[in-house]
Amino acid sequence: MRNLIAFLLRFQGVMLFVLLEVVSLFLFVTNSSYQRAAFFNSANTYAGAMLARRTQVADYFRLDELNHQLLVDNAQLRQQLYPPDFMRREADSLPVGRDTLGHIVYRHLRPDPSQALAGVPLPGLAGEGTVKLKKPSALVRPDTLLLGGAKQATRDAEYPLVAARVLNNSLRAVDNYLTLNVGTADGVQPGLGVLSAGGVVGQVKAASEHYATVFSLLHSKMAVAAKIKRDGTFGSVKWPGDNYSHALLDYIPRQNRLVRGDSVVTSGYNAVFPEGVLVGTVESFVKEPDKNFWTVRLRLAVDFSRLTYVYVVHNRPPTERDSLETALTAPEPAPVKPLIKPRMPRR
Amino acid sequence: MSVLGVLVRQLLRFGVYAGIQVFIVGQLSLFGLGWCFLYLGFILFLPLRTPIALQLLLGFAMGLAMDISYDTGGLHAAAAVLLAYLRPWVLRLLTPRDGYDAQDAVNVHQMGWQWFGVYLLLLVGLHHLAYFFLELGSFQHPLLTLARVGVSILFTSTALLIVQLLFFPVRRVRS
Repeated sequence: MRNLIAFLLRFQGVMLFVLLEVVSLFLFVTNSSYQRAAFFNSANTYAGAMLARRTQVADYFRLDELNHQLLVDNAQLRQQLYPPDFMRREADSLPVGRDTLGHIVYRHLRPDPSQALAGVPLPGLAGEGTVKLKKPSALVRPDTLLLGGAKQATRDAEYPLVAARVLNNSLRAVDNYLTLNVGTADGVQPGLGVLSAGGVVGQVKAASEHYATVFSLLHSKMAVAAKIKRDGTFGSVKWPGDNYSHALLDYIPRQNRLVRGDSVVTSGYNAVFPEGVLVGTVESFVKEPDKNFWTVRLRLAVDFSRLTYVYVVHNRPPTERDSLETALTAPEPAPVKPLIKPRMPRR
Repeated sequence: MSVLGVLVRQLLRFGVYAGIQVFIVGQLSLFGLGWCFLYLGFILFLPLRTPIALQLLLGFAMGLAMDISYDTGGLHAAAAVLLAYLRPWVLRLLTPRDGYDAQDAVNVHQMGWQWFGVYLLLLVGLHHLAYFFLELGSFQHPLLTLARVGVSILFTSTALLIVQLLFFPVRRVRS
């Protein structure tokens, strides 16, 4: 017994060293999984509060840049709000002839939308007859926000679009993460997609009550199901780990024609991002002799070095589709013929 | 100095190094490649006679605090524990001819430029090599990673040297 204690004391350094190294390497290796407790990342309440305070202070020193960014965003939004004068300039009526008295007869090309709606009896208000609607457009269409070239509904109660501020953002590590100032209290759950006005940013990794940690697109294990907008060829966007403004588009067959400057958008296959959100544009492509696919280099649409405001999105039918697809990829219990032919799950 | 005094002093140092790292220095980068690991100063400038077990535990705690702030899992902790383990070896390697005095500390004024330079560059270099290649998980961008290591060594060492010159006493402290 005394020998044992003496042995332990003699080699305490080595043993403690090995133990601590094993613990930290275990934490490091399991870092990318979703199953991790939320404590060991920056979404934990203390770290989150500290980062929020740091952002508060640091913002004063870059008010200039923030203002400029907001101005640019505003200009883009205004451009969408007030289209140029010559856009959609069509006559609502055309002179088609003269009647017997010599007056010009006009023919309306499109019926007035408010009158058209008022004429249709609403099913819920059938007893009261037709009701004059003041603002039909507000009822028919939800408000939308243009994120990465795709319209996202903002007012849908079931799939809210959560605006968030980036508190912490790394660029130069091999696996990069972001910290956001929204959490489960705002409806953020692990696995949701994150977009910015420019395009795809990442995917939520963990969320505490008021903070969330996000896998950046600049992460070695992140892959975004994407397609080329022009011809719809499917591929997968991965970050090779060198430069934060570029990524690779994998799995484009060699026989496909590519054009420099083509937009690459999300395909909506992996149920994280909505379809049609811009990822980047094709910058260069080479055929390598030993590969079946093009090596396509993308310029990312989002400038990760100046990421300030982002939006957490809920994709439309997430849980149902995911459970269906995992059920389909799992070994089938009984040879029941499926009614609908399943799409190949892409990962 | 009493045990409690030492404890409070070290806790304060821990807070200051971690705070400055997270709030100020972690935001900076040199040439878009290097990063400053100022928090290593906490481990590197511990008293010479700190027990090895305590050094390892303090290194682990500091690394884990950084991991939580920067979402790296256990990367900083693994490299910091390695640093804490290697420190006594490097100290032994650099022992002056007649051994360390009771009042000796890691201090550029007391130990001399040569001693301090070798100590700092050796330990910071080993730490950065371990950190960046562990982070990569492979050797696929060796040149880029080596450039990162080199620039980071430059950045970290300069920052720690400035800390030494500004905040460490020129005269020996009588304890």
